[in-house]
Amino acid sequence: MIFNTEQTKFESLVRAYSAELYRYAYWLCRDSFQAEDLVQETFARAWKAWDALREQTAARSWLYTILRHERARLYERKRFKIDENQNLDELADPAANVAEELEMRDAVLALPPSYREPLLLQWIGGYSCKEIAGIMNLTEGAVMTRLTRARMALRRADGAAPAQRGTAR
Amino acid sequence: MNCFEFRRLLLAHPRELTTDQEHHALECTQCAKAAGNAAALDVQRAQVVIVPVPDALAERVLLRHKGGRPSRYGVWAIAATLLIGIVVGAQLYRSYDAGKDAVSTTAALPRDNPAVAAISFVIDHEPQLLKEGRAGDPQVMRAAFRRLGLSQPPQGTAVRYLGKCPVPGGTGDHVVLTTPYGHVTLILVPDFPIGSRVLVADRNMTALVSPVGKGGYIVIAQSAQTIRQIERMLAS
Repeated sequence: MIFNTEQTKFESLVRAYSAELYRYAYWLCRDSFQAEDLVQETFARAWKAWDALREQTAARSWLYTILRHERARLYERKRFKIDENQNLDELADPAANVAEELEMRDAVLALPPSYREPLLLQWIGGYSCKEIAGIMNLTEGAVMTRLTRARMALRRADGAAPAQRGTAR
Repeated sequence: MNCFEFRRLLLAHPRELTTDQEHHALECTQCAKAAGNAAALDVQRAQVVIVPVPDALAERVLLRHKGGRPSRYGVWAIAATLLIGIVVGAQLYRSYDAGKDAVSTTAALPRDNPAVAAISFVIDHEPQLLKEGRAGDPQVMRAAFRRLGLSQPPQGTAVRYLGKCPVPGGTGDHVVLTTPYGHVTLILVPDFPIGSRVLVADRNMTALVSPVGKGGYIVIAQSAQTIRQIERMLAS
């Protein structure tokens, strides 16, 4: 039955992608409640526009795009109240070097949003530069530039990475 | 590709080397090593963004989805369900109504059925009773109407004959009315059961047995349509 089929597909998408969309939303707005709202709104919008999804294989990128638009829509209405100390404990992996993690977190947060966003898409979504360009409606070259600058900024914050220094030919 | 180009691309996507980068890495051990280190560092750095996800997030999303406004498909499904419900309900009502007033023939009923017997009585004996012009007590008739919960004959209806008649199990009040719908005979049996509801056509007459309360009444008229009109009149 068509209703069941579409419903089942939608539920599969929710189960498959809600976690990574939440993480992406969290780093965009830096508020866990707002992030969850953003995920809820994203899927609500996705279901309303279900017919616009022509290929299931494109569903994931489509959801990221919706989330970006939703975030922009909400962000225009209200600036998120950012609690810098929120989730510090959650972010820290007991097995990892907490100080380094927190420094890196701060470094990521300190990135300009235009640099941070493609980096998040690459790290959380695992997208290629071309795919990020599609989601952000940019050229692939622009995405590569932003990613390069983002990593250079992180490297400056983290201290120079000797491993990346080599002999240019 | 030179080393500078290789490193520049490495900053943009350290974990996916292009074909050109792979060729260069085969020729340049320094860049190959840099690529390995960059990929490892990127994996490590990426861990910082893997924040914990609230428990049962997907379930909450699905709960809101299911509990929220019906989707476009949902609206159509509800509309279709309502439509089907109305059609089925109307059909059931019709079949019930038709079944309620389905006209039976005497072939399907015994001769002592109250409706069959009433028709026989009206055709075989009523003309003689009308000629005799006997009239019973109107108070008795009104009391019988009341006990059966029926409306008294309205204005425009004349009592042409009032008497007693035999019915299975005893006697009933025999009333012949002149109504806007023609001559109609009523046999009122308020005190004992007269059987289940049935509509019977026999010998160009139609009779309805209708149980009411402890007893019931029988209407005998020219047609089933007239009987329905009399029923509505008595019930109003």
